[in-house]
Amino acid sequence: MLNYAVKRLLLAVAIVSVAMLLLFTMIYLIPGDPAAVALGPRATEAMREALIVKMGLDQPVWVQFWNFFTRAWMGDLGREVLSERPVAQVVMENLPFTMALIAGGMTWSVALGIPLGCWAAVKRGSWADRLVGVLSVAVIAVPSFVIAIYALLIFAVALRWLPAIGAGEPGNPGDQITHLILPSLAVGLGWVGYIARMVRASMLEVLEAQHIRTARAFGLPDAMITYRYALTIAILPTITLLGVGIGQMLSSAVFAEIVFARPGVGKLVYDAILTRNYPLVSGAVLVTTVLFVLLNLAADLLIGALDPRVRSKL
Amino acid sequence: MHCGTTRRGLSRRSFLAATGAFGAAGLAAPRMAFSQDGTVLTLRSYSDLQVLDPAFRLSLPEDDIIRSIFAPLVIPEAGDVWGWKPIAVDSIEQLDDVTVAFKLKDNIGFTDGYGQMTAEDVKFSIERIADPAVESPYAGDWAALKSVEVKDRLSGLIHLNSKFVPLWTTTLPTPASCILSKKAMQELGDKITTKPVAQSGQYLLADWQPKQRTVLKRNPDWAHEPGGFEEIHIIPIEDPATAERGFEAGDLDYTWTSVSSLPRLKENPPAGSVVLEKPSLAYVWLGINQDAEPFTDIRIRRAVQHAIDRQTVVDAAYFGAASIGNGIIAPGLPGSRDSVTYDYDPDRARALLAEAGASNLSVTLDILNQSERLNAAQVIQANLAEVGINCEIKQNDSGTFWSLGSKDGDYYLKLQLVLSRFSMQPDPSWATVWFTPEQVGVWNWERFNDAEYKALHDQGLVTSGHAERDAIYRKMQGLMDESGCYVFLTHEVVGAIHRDTIEPGLKPNGESLFSEFRPA
Repeated sequence: MLNYAVKRLLLAVAIVSVAMLLLFTMIYLIPGDPAAVALGPRATEAMREALIVKMGLDQPVWVQFWNFFTRAWMGDLGREVLSERPVAQVVMENLPFTMALIAGGMTWSVALGIPLGCWAAVKRGSWADRLVGVLSVAVIAVPSFVIAIYALLIFAVALRWLPAIGAGEPGNPGDQITHLILPSLAVGLGWVGYIARMVRASMLEVLEAQHIRTARAFGLPDAMITYRYALTIAILPTITLLGVGIGQMLSSAVFAEIVFARPGVGKLVYDAILTRNYPLVSGAVLVTTVLFVLLNLAADLLIGALDPRVRSKL
Repeated sequence: MHCGTTRRGLSRRSFLAATGAFGAAGLAAPRMAFSQDGTVLTLRSYSDLQVLDPAFRLSLPEDDIIRSIFAPLVIPEAGDVWGWKPIAVDSIEQLDDVTVAFKLKDNIGFTDGYGQMTAEDVKFSIERIADPAVESPYAGDWAALKSVEVKDRLSGLIHLNSKFVPLWTTTLPTPASCILSKKAMQELGDKITTKPVAQSGQYLLADWQPKQRTVLKRNPDWAHEPGGFEEIHIIPIEDPATAERGFEAGDLDYTWTSVSSLPRLKENPPAGSVVLEKPSLAYVWLGINQDAEPFTDIRIRRAVQHAIDRQTVVDAAYFGAASIGNGIIAPGLPGSRDSVTYDYDPDRARALLAEAGASNLSVTLDILNQSERLNAAQVIQANLAEVGINCEIKQNDSGTFWSLGSKDGDYYLKLQLVLSRFSMQPDPSWATVWFTPEQVGVWNWERFNDAEYKALHDQGLVTSGHAERDAIYRKMQGLMDESGCYVFLTHEVVGAIHRDTIEPGLKPNGESLFSEFRPA
């Protein structure tokens, strides 16, 4: 297991390094004068030039990359252009909101997707199976921002049951959870479909396995066979799917954060790109990338721990 | 076993009843706006704060916060007529063309133990913005400043090098007259970013949660006209549609709206709310780069002027909520015009193109990627097609768009047509300054280069009579018409919506003044 973990960790480092190179290249290729955008129309030529120097954009591109690469590995993400706050601090202020959003979305998708998938598998070929199939495809097909807008219009604007904007009163967990319900539903609902389909497919395979037949022959209750013996095996591919799903949810989070006016890393990056706040763009995207890689690493290690066949293959 | 009962004894019936009751309770007691108790006002700003230094502020919401926490000499007056009202001064008056006398109120204190506000602080704050070494983007507000003379503890004189008419419209009623503590700033040794020290205004910055909210609280030591609310919560929401939903859901007491939402909101306002429509100072125009082929030929520029049906463009972009504009100076200001010197005449446009020997022209139109701009651009595209010009629309994000005409880039000579919008302050010089020869390749993307225009602009800054200024600025816009570089479209309108329990403090153009909001 240790050997497996070390290999996965080295792979994660390589992925992050490549991601940094791609990130830097993309930022470099974005058109637009960051100094002009940041300082506005009233800035003089000298002020614009001073800001370019301050941002290090006057240096050769390879020097800029090397500085970015080495400082980032040391944990120094630089400072925001205008407020001069440390980028790491700004990102870390926003990260908990995105993490909460993704955790909420994941909770929706797991809490609804796994039971639905099991139910469809157990009721294979019945109207319930077909209904779950249709619903799964429907929620997969509808973009998260559409779900976000409709959820907002129904539950916040029309019914006024839930808040429409913001992340809740700081220090008030109840209020923060209330503010999380609609955005996390918007982010997670599509994944209910994916997980339901995946669990159903895995369950159908496992339910045909010999040990399940044996359990049935011994007269064990259906619920025990389904959830204790079948699901524990069928869940493994779903864990991998969840790892990928986190990346997808990170991108969906941008829409939810904009529609619900929530703080978060997605919106932070969006705003930073619009204002060409390069240190913030690179810092926030890098943190998000590292987060994604780490969560996938965790998923891989979990699968490795649960399934010896996976460990032996790497 | 009872099929309808769970192991914990909750029957299906009681579960459904509880769910129904929860829903009914939600309907019976919908979430209400925070200001219902009259103590907290929750409003939207379109951006979060980044800099709280009057010399380096970046956006209107920052202006509002700065004005609320650092007492300014004067602020714009809320209402429908441009004016100003004193805040930190007992009196302020223009003694002659180059001298302004002021006397501070006697008991305005700075927080954090920095003592009372004095004339020395006024001298420091104003001269700091004007000082070239400070490199404030707002140095131009005090470009005519010679010095500030301290007469005694509370009184002083502001000396100008020359007459400066915009002083009372676009310098003093802005954060350029906010007073900082000299002692605090010297101790800081740098500019203020997001942590203010030595606050002195009607409100104090109590809390800032980045990207979440800014909380202003009434200054307990402010001994003059108090702010209208115990607390003001400012929520940064960039997207107007999101803000409108937030208002409709009861999360906001006031927000700007998009112009396109105005007809819907006016027709069907949410219960307990008031929809406002205010004239804007902004100006929107189609710019034609006179240094880019084929527009180096004035006949082709003029052909474009005659080809555009301005009324249809504006109707399409703003759903009938805005009317056409005839220049860069909004109605109500000196220089505002009732008409332009070119009319919609496709036949004339075709004749000019034929005279220039231009056929099968293909041009590009750069726009910002906003729905209103795209709607306008599509009508322009259709208008140009009518006279035989093929127009490709290029949408740009804001970061790209605002660099298109910069001489530091490589696109400024390829830029052909551009749909632009500038905002301004209530003085015509704020509109004309961007089209002077010095601005070619900076913000003058049409590369309009006219020495007479520049001379008139300089003359406008030192001319005080309304009629004389009116003539100067009309003449300047006439020169812009003649150049063929401009098709003026609209001044837009500003939409806003607020609860009927509050009375918003708004400038005549609909911009907010946080400290002037009051309970109704």
